[in-house]
Amino acid sequence: MTAAARSMVRTNAPRRPRAHPLEWLLIHLAFVAVSAFFLAPFLWLFGAAFDENATAYIHWPSAPTFNNFIRIFTEHDFGIALGNSVFVSVATMLLVVVTVSFAGYSLSRIELRRKDWITYAVLLLQTMPLSATMVPIYGLARQLGLRNSYLGLILIHATIELPFLVWLMKGFFDSVPRQLEEASWLDGRTKLRALIEIVLPLARPGLGIAAGLSFLSAWAEVLMVIILVDQQSMKTVPLAFYEAMRNQGGYTEVQYGVIAAMAILYLIPVMAVFIGARRLMVRGLMSSTRGL
Amino acid sequence: MARVEYEDVWKQFAAQGAPAVRGLSLDIADGELLVLLGPSGCGKTTALRMLAGLEEPDRGDIRIAGTSVVGREPKDRDVALVFQSYALYPHLSARENIRYPLKLRKMSRAEQDKRVDHVADMLGIAHLLPRRPAQLSGGEQQRVALARAIVREPRVFLMDEPLSNLDAKLRVHTRTELKTLQRQLETTMVFVTHDQAEAMSLANRIAILSAGELQQIGTPDDVYDHPANLFVAEFIGSPPMNLLEVTRDGDTLVAADGWRLPAPLTRDHSARELTVGLRPEAIAIGTAGQAAEVVAVEPLGSEVIVDVRVGEKALKVRAAPAVRPQPGSTVHLAVEPGAIRLFDRSSGSAFH
Repeated sequence: MTAAARSMVRTNAPRRPRAHPLEWLLIHLAFVAVSAFFLAPFLWLFGAAFDENATAYIHWPSAPTFNNFIRIFTEHDFGIALGNSVFVSVATMLLVVVTVSFAGYSLSRIELRRKDWITYAVLLLQTMPLSATMVPIYGLARQLGLRNSYLGLILIHATIELPFLVWLMKGFFDSVPRQLEEASWLDGRTKLRALIEIVLPLARPGLGIAAGLSFLSAWAEVLMVIILVDQQSMKTVPLAFYEAMRNQGGYTEVQYGVIAAMAILYLIPVMAVFIGARRLMVRGLMSSTRGL
Repeated sequence: MARVEYEDVWKQFAAQGAPAVRGLSLDIADGELLVLLGPSGCGKTTALRMLAGLEEPDRGDIRIAGTSVVGREPKDRDVALVFQSYALYPHLSARENIRYPLKLRKMSRAEQDKRVDHVADMLGIAHLLPRRPAQLSGGEQQRVALARAIVREPRVFLMDEPLSNLDAKLRVHTRTELKTLQRQLETTMVFVTHDQAEAMSLANRIAILSAGELQQIGTPDDVYDHPANLFVAEFIGSPPMNLLEVTRDGDTLVAADGWRLPAPLTRDHSARELTVGLRPEAIAIGTAGQAAEVVAVEPLGSEVIVDVRVGEKALKVRAAPAVRPQPGSTVHLAVEPGAIRLFDRSSGSAFH
């Protein structure tokens, strides 16, 4: 391209007109208002968690203190709940990742009659409202001795997330070229080994998403925990949180500081998983889409 | 190194009406380079994939070194396949890609590296070893894929259109290299392509397939000089063989516009409808013979292709570079009797 042609391209390119100052101001005011609306609860959380006399209103503590955090461990057995939650969520995540790897791969690769029906049936399961099946799940868990047990919580939490994630992983496996697997078989690998060495690394963005979502779901899920757990030693963070709100002095005398401190600890792993899964996703996407 | 045999192999895919491969029988000698040639959808890739174990035949037997491999897993067949897409593992470096087939063997890491380095040197890709496939050009990826196949020292090399993603110049260059390499390694190779020029230049023998059926197998000269049927006659050669519908009149054949050709008759074909095949170089442009109108002249440097018309029939004639008739002018065509090929028009098969 000559210099003249280049300058022509530049002048012909659409240039965004400069905004009028009033327009600029209005747009930014709207942004601030919307942001404030979403940030206010978090502002309250941080204010209340470090304030021994926290109220339901946003108020910056006059004497910031860690006492609320100390109290949730000494008075509310939050350590047990935290440990239970971490264990149940990590175990759910592992179970889900292993299961979706095989189930998604099978739906993607294995020739089955009526495979499309099976695929849509799996998705249909996901659309069923959980509360509708609450009673049978409770009955089943009682019969099988899965109430107040890690296994019960892990199985239920995995089941909740599996249909969608199996479906999601099928899509990721579909995007991995079959020839890579075939090359691996010819290079002396069994089908299982080719799956582990070649296909799974290339489906890593999907596995990252499956791991992140299943962890978050198991971590945050409240309803099933409430119906499945009534032993103090088995309670998880959502239940501890719920109890702190209901039982400590009832609704009239809610200990806002304690709840806020719990909420912050409840949120930290969510943030960590989100950031971790995001990096994994970006890295995985790059390695799987380039060079194919 | 091994002999490869297909014996009456059939394959039908559920989604397709007609069988992809019908009754294929081939006997490929140890160390031979056999090219499976045919248009897309002719079953050549399916035939190759059945040898690799990526598809199973419905019927028939496939043997490597005398032992049937039907029902055996791909990993147990000791064959290496270079895919059209190269199928390099995108998450591994070129070195790890080449080393991958060696990793399961009882071989020290140092020995593996030595073999990777040796093959990389042979193919001139030593400097590319640390890179990922995404950082390599098409030609470089092709070499890494080739190295991954060679490093194993398999019994049979399978090539599924490995050159078709390269640009024209590199393709011709790599073709020569591949042929030299195969001769050095003395490993049996089955090479699939739809490019007849590639097939002619590479093959010890060419097997031509159409609609799942073997049409002819023979050396490049065989299939060029003595095509077994009209399909092969039209498929091999560029420009392809001229085909003229003729009727018989005594010892001569009469084509369009009353063009009389000497009949190379060795048997009585009087009752049959015949088609004559003439290679473009079997027709000479001269001063005597059948009159023809020049339609176009295509100078190709080393030769000239003259498009002529005899009556309504268009023909291509290969001539020396100095021959430059004017389009629209009349020339005279002479035919060398020995170069005339005769085909049965209804069955398509050749008379020899």
